Amino acid sequence: MKSKPIVMDHFSTVHTSYIVNFQFTNNITILTGSSGTGKTASFLFIKECMSINPDILCLNYLDYQRDIKDIISREQGKLIVIDNADILLDNETRKYISVDSNNQYLIIGRNPKNLFATSDNLFELVNQKKGEQTEFSIAPFL
Amino acid sequence: MITIYKDKKDIPQSKEYVELNDVFFNKNTVLELDNQAKDIIERIDATELDGKFKIKSKFSGVTLDVDCLSTGCKTALNVFYFPEKVFCLKECGDNALEVLYAFKHGSVYSDYALMPFDMTEVQVCSGTEKKMINDYEELKEWWSDEE
Repeated sequence: MKSKPIVMDHFSTVHTSYIVNFQFTNNITILTGSSGTGKTASFLFIKECMSINPDILCLNYLDYQRDIKDIISREQGKLIVIDNADILLDNETRKYISVDSNNQYLIIGRNPKNLFATSDNLFELVNQKKGEQTEFSIAPFL
Repeated sequence: MITIYKDKKDIPQSKEYVELNDVFFNKNTVLELDNQAKDIIERIDATELDGKFKIKSKFSGVTLDVDCLSTGCKTALNVFYFPEKVFCLKECGDNALEVLYAFKHGSVYSDYALMPFDMTEVQVCSGTEKKMINDYEELKEWWSDEE
């Protein structure tokens, strides 16, 4: 599904020796790929920004007991970042996300079911050394 | 070989099902880690176990708590050290699946297909039926109910 990002087309942050530099081309970005590439680390760096950026909401396995659909349906104008999405998102929530025109999503997981995703939505993490720092960016998942 | 369930109701009542691999690892598996874990961690996360509770970051080389392992790596370690339990397979990347599928024991659950191209024989359980599968396409068919 092709739809332009409605909240932000770029997000960047620094956490000590790590840089997160994400360019969004779609309203739903599914960040997938092998284990151990830094997806959850990036999530934690973005989550840190929740304290200073009111446009970001982060959810992960610590929210397992909460009603995720209820939480996101109350939000407007947020970049909603969901780690552990494969265990956190049920079919109903996935369908809601696929038609939500109030928020933008960065979903970290491997199952695109019911998100009406195409290859346009699938990305993987790329890391690059920049001096003593490591920069994480996203690239189309091939 | 590992055992695979595709329906939660097929998991025997005597076997505990664990969905939150991160939490289970951080509270239980971490206490079981020994030299056997080193190889699994190196193969999946390309990082080095540094003592019992530490790893070296592959990105910066700094020492991190072992809770910073990937969920896929934690899942593989959970399956390896607790073969009597059934663990959710859904958060494993291809590299974790390759390692996990080669284990001699262990049980996993997923309601959709998750398998490495290069797979060895596995046991699948569906209803009362149990059978061995050693072919990628056959396993994919079993998962999609197109048998």
